[in-house]
Amino acid sequence: MPKIIIDGKEIEFKPGQTVIQAARENGIEIPHFCWHPSLSVSGNCRLCLVEIEKMPKLVISCSTTATEGMVVQTQSEKVIAARNAVMEFILINHPLDCPICDEAGECKLQDYTYQHSVGESRFTEEKNHKEKRIELGPNVMFDGERCISCSRCIRFCDEIVGEKELTFIKRGDRVTITTFPGKKLENPYSMNVTDICPVGALTNRDFRFKSRVWEMAPTKTICSGCARGCNIDLWTRNNEVLRITPRQNEDVNSFWMCDNGRLNTFKHVNANDRVSGPHLRKEGQLIKCGWDEAYAKTLSELKSFAKDEIAALASSSLTVEDTYLVSKFVRSTLNMKNFDFVRKVVAGSGDAILIREDKATNAKGFELMGVEPGKSASGGGLKFDEIISHIESGRIKALILIEEDLIGWNPAFEKILSKLDFLVTISTNFDASTSFANVVFPASTYAEKNGTWINFQGRIQRIRPAVTTIEMERSLDGMSQSRWDKFGTDFDSWGKAKKNDARPTWKIISGLASAFGTKYKFTMAEEIFNEIAHTNPLFTGLDYDVVGENGVQLKTETVKKKVTI
Amino acid sequence: MEKIVLPEIENFHQLDVYIQNAGYEAAKSAFTQTTNQIIDTVKKSGLRGRGGAAFSAGLKWSFMPKNNDKPKYLCVNGDESEPGSFKDRQILERNPHQLIEGTIIACYAIGAKSAYIYVRGEYHKWIKLLQKALDDAYEKGFVGEKMKETFGTDFSCNIYVHKGAGAYICGEESSLMNSIEGQRGYPRVKPPFPAQNGLWGNPTTINNVETITNIPPIIKKGWEWFSAIGEPKHPGTILFGVSGHVNNPGVFELPSGTLLTDIIYKYAGGVIGGKKIKCVIPGGSSMPPLRGDKLEGVKMDAESLKAVGSAIGTGGIMVMDEDTDLVRVLARIAKFYYHESCGQCTPCREGTGWMLKILNRLVRGEGTSKDLDLLITIAKNIEGNTICALGDAAAWPVKFMIARFREEFEAVVKDEVSLEPKNKVHSMRHTANPIAPVQV
Repeated sequence: MPKIIIDGKEIEFKPGQTVIQAARENGIEIPHFCWHPSLSVSGNCRLCLVEIEKMPKLVISCSTTATEGMVVQTQSEKVIAARNAVMEFILINHPLDCPICDEAGECKLQDYTYQHSVGESRFTEEKNHKEKRIELGPNVMFDGERCISCSRCIRFCDEIVGEKELTFIKRGDRVTITTFPGKKLENPYSMNVTDICPVGALTNRDFRFKSRVWEMAPTKTICSGCARGCNIDLWTRNNEVLRITPRQNEDVNSFWMCDNGRLNTFKHVNANDRVSGPHLRKEGQLIKCGWDEAYAKTLSELKSFAKDEIAALASSSLTVEDTYLVSKFVRSTLNMKNFDFVRKVVAGSGDAILIREDKATNAKGFELMGVEPGKSASGGGLKFDEIISHIESGRIKALILIEEDLIGWNPAFEKILSKLDFLVTISTNFDASTSFANVVFPASTYAEKNGTWINFQGRIQRIRPAVTTIEMERSLDGMSQSRWDKFGTDFDSWGKAKKNDARPTWKIISGLASAFGTKYKFTMAEEIFNEIAHTNPLFTGLDYDVVGENGVQLKTETVKKKVTI
Repeated sequence: MEKIVLPEIENFHQLDVYIQNAGYEAAKSAFTQTTNQIIDTVKKSGLRGRGGAAFSAGLKWSFMPKNNDKPKYLCVNGDESEPGSFKDRQILERNPHQLIEGTIIACYAIGAKSAYIYVRGEYHKWIKLLQKALDDAYEKGFVGEKMKETFGTDFSCNIYVHKGAGAYICGEESSLMNSIEGQRGYPRVKPPFPAQNGLWGNPTTINNVETITNIPPIIKKGWEWFSAIGEPKHPGTILFGVSGHVNNPGVFELPSGTLLTDIIYKYAGGVIGGKKIKCVIPGGSSMPPLRGDKLEGVKMDAESLKAVGSAIGTGGIMVMDEDTDLVRVLARIAKFYYHESCGQCTPCREGTGWMLKILNRLVRGEGTSKDLDLLITIAKNIEGNTICALGDAAAWPVKFMIARFREEFEAVVKDEVSLEPKNKVHSMRHTANPIAPVQV
C-alpha cells in the first residue's frame, strides 16, 4: 500500500483517499466542521487546512487526495496559525450562549475552542444578528445565529435522503439556511441533521431543553422500531430515557436513523401506564399482587384447560433469549403445539434507505430459530390466523400473550380477546389487550434488559439495559452511568428515581416454569445465549463479547435448513 | 499605434463592416489548421489572460483533455464586476464580432461544441448588442450548424449569451459555471480544475472576453507579430480603463508596458485641477494600491507591476488625487467585498464583515492604532485560506492600503490605546484538561 507521512509518522492509505480520511483511519484527527465521512466534500469551513511539502499554500485536507510520499504537517506553526484564525472567524459572530445551548457538551465548536483556539477574542464590534427559533419542520428547530454555514444538513438532505428541502440563502455573513418555498424539513430522516450539525444551530424539538448532555448516560443498544435494527445510543437521566441518537454501524445504518425510531420507540419506557408488579383480575379490576400469587393463579387456571384449548402468541420483537425460553416452556413444559408469533408487516411503509416494512425487531430471529408452527419437534401446531379463528370459534379458550398488544395493533382483535376464558399477558404497559387479561405480568422493556435481536439481514446485535427496574442496580449491573449517576449522594433527588417492578420475559417464563415444576438454571440472559450458542449451530462460537457493540452477521444461508429447536 | 481589440473603424460592430475588414477570415484559416497548431500558435504568441490572473491562454487550452468522450465547453467571462473595471463593455459594444469569431476559434481549438458568453446582469444594453451581433452571425452562417458549409469544415459550435444576476462572485470562474448550471453562485473547491471537471462535470475552459477577442488577429497575423508588441513577457495591447480624478477618463488600448504616468497624463488628460496624485490602484479595486509619489517609471504589465508590489488585474486604473480620504476609500472598497462575499467559506464570510466594521469605526473617528494592526492581521488571515480568490481580493486592499498609507490612517485614530479587549473572556486553553478526540 502507498504511504504518506503525517507529522513525521508514516501511514498507509488506500489509493483515492483524501488526506483527512487517511489520517482518520490511522487515528490522527484533523480538525474539521464541514467534512463528514458519509457526505460529499464541500471544503467551506477551512479548519482542516494543512501544510503539504511542495505546495505553495496551505490546502484543505478534506479535498486533497493523498499521493505516494506526500509529506503533511498538521501541527506546524503555519497550520496552527491558520486554524486559530479560522476559529477566531467562526467565533466572532457566534453567540456565547453555551450555557443555554442544547449542543453544549457535544459541540464540535466548543471542543475545538478548547483545543485549537486562543481563548481570547479581539472582536469588539456588535455581533451579527439573524433569525432564531425557526421551525424548519415538525422535528427540527433552527437558530440562524449559531449556524456556521457548514452545509452538512443541506448535503445530508440532498445526498442521503434525496429530498432537496434545505438551502442557503443570502450572501456573505448574512448567509442563512432555510427550506425551499412551500417546503418543510419533514423527510423521514430529518432529525439526523441535528446529529451532524457541528454546533447548536439545528436542535431536536422533542429533546430541546430537556437535559444537559453530560447529565445523561448513553447506552449502546439497538432501535426497536423495525427489522433494520439501527444501532443507537439510548440517553438516560434519572432513570428516564430522554432521547435516542444513532450510532455508527456501516453494515446496518451508517450514521443515521429515521425520525420515527428516534421519537416513537422510547416514550413507553417512561410512561405512567407501565405495569409495575404482577396484576390479577379481581372483581373486574386488575389488582397488584405478589409474584408467587400470580404464578400460582396462572398455573391453576392453565391446568384447567386441555392442551389444545391453550395457545401462545408472542411478539416478534422478543429477544433471542426470550424466544428460546418461551419456546422451550411452551413446547416442553406445557407440551403445547399452538404457538406462533405475531408478524407486523406494514406493506408500503419501507424505503430504500433504512426503514423496513417489517416493524418487528426479531422476526428473522424467530425464523432462524425455527419458532414457527409445525417446526417444533412434535410438529403440527396452529398458525397465527388459525389460532385467531380457533379462539373465535371457541375451540381455544386460554391464551398466553407475550409482549404484544394485539388490539393496539389491530382493533379488530378486541372481539377475539373478549371471547377467551382466560388470558395471561406479559406486558410492558397497560394497554387495550391487558384490559381483557386475567393475569398481567410486568415485562421489562427493551431498554431494561440484556438480549440479542437478529435483524432482517441476519445480523445478531445486542441490546443493553439503560433503565433500571427494582431488581437492578446501575453500578452493580455494569450499566452506563452519567456524572449524576456516579457522583450523586443520598441527598440528590436523581438517586430517588422511579423504578418499576418488571422483569425480562425470560425471567417471568422461568418463574412460571418453576410453578409448573420445571427448573431453569438461568440467572441472566447471557447464560441463555451461551446455551443457545452450544446447541444451535447457527450461533456456534458466539457469545456476548463476540457480538460486541456492532453485532455479527450470521451465516444464515448455510445453516438455515438444519435448524430446529 | 495598432489597435487589436478595439480598432478605430466606424461601425465595426456591424457584421457587414466587420466582414469588409476581413472579418471571420481568421476563423476560416483556423479551420485549415489542426487544433494543436492553433493552441501552439496561441501559446507562442505569449497571450496572457486579461481577466486578472494573466495566465497563459495557450497553456490553459492545452489542459483540455484530448482523449475524452465527454462534451467540452467554453465559457467566455464577461461578468466584469470589479470596481474600476469597464473594458469588456467596450468590446461588447464596439467589437462583438471579433469576440464571436474568437469564441469560434477557441471552441475549435479545445473541441467545444458549446460556448457560453456570460455577461453581467447589469449590462442590459450590452447583452442586447451582443445578442444582436450573435443573431446576425447565426443568420450569415458563421455560427451553428451552418458554419460547416460557410467555412467548409466538419466542425460546428453553438454560442449562447448568458445573463448574470448581479453577483460579483459569479465572475470567479467556478461560480460562473455554477451560475450557468442554475446553482447558487458558490466557487468550487479546486482541484479538480475546470479542464477536468467544469460545466456539468465536463472539461471546460474559461477565458475573459478581452482574451478571446485577441485570438482572431493572432491567428490572422501570426504569433511572431503579436509577441513583438509591448513587453515580451506580457505581449500585446491591454485595455486600460482609467477612472477617478482624471480629466479624460475612459478605456485606452495601449501596448503592454506603457508607463502608468503616460496613461494618466498623456491619454487620460492628467489629474483634475492639476493636483498631485495620492494613490493609484492599477488593476481594479482588489489590486494593491500604489503611492502617488512612487509612480515614476512604473510600467503597466504583469511582470513590471509585480516587481513594484502590485498586479495588472483587469487593467482598471483608479486615480486618486491628494485630497482623497483614503480611510473612506478603503471603507468603501471593504464594503464592496463584504457585500459581494458569497459566504461559503469561513475566512472571507466572517473576515470581510469584521474588517468593514472596524473601518467604519475608523471613519467615525472611533478607531485606535491597535485597530490598524488588527486589520492587517485579519487581512492576512483571510489571504490564501479561502476557496477562491475573492478572499485575496478583499484582503489585499486592506493590507496594502494600510501598509503603504499608514500615516493617513494614523491621523484618524486615537493614540490612547486600551490594551484590554472589551469582551475579554477567561482563557479556556490554560484551564482545560486535555480532552478526548472529537467524534464526527
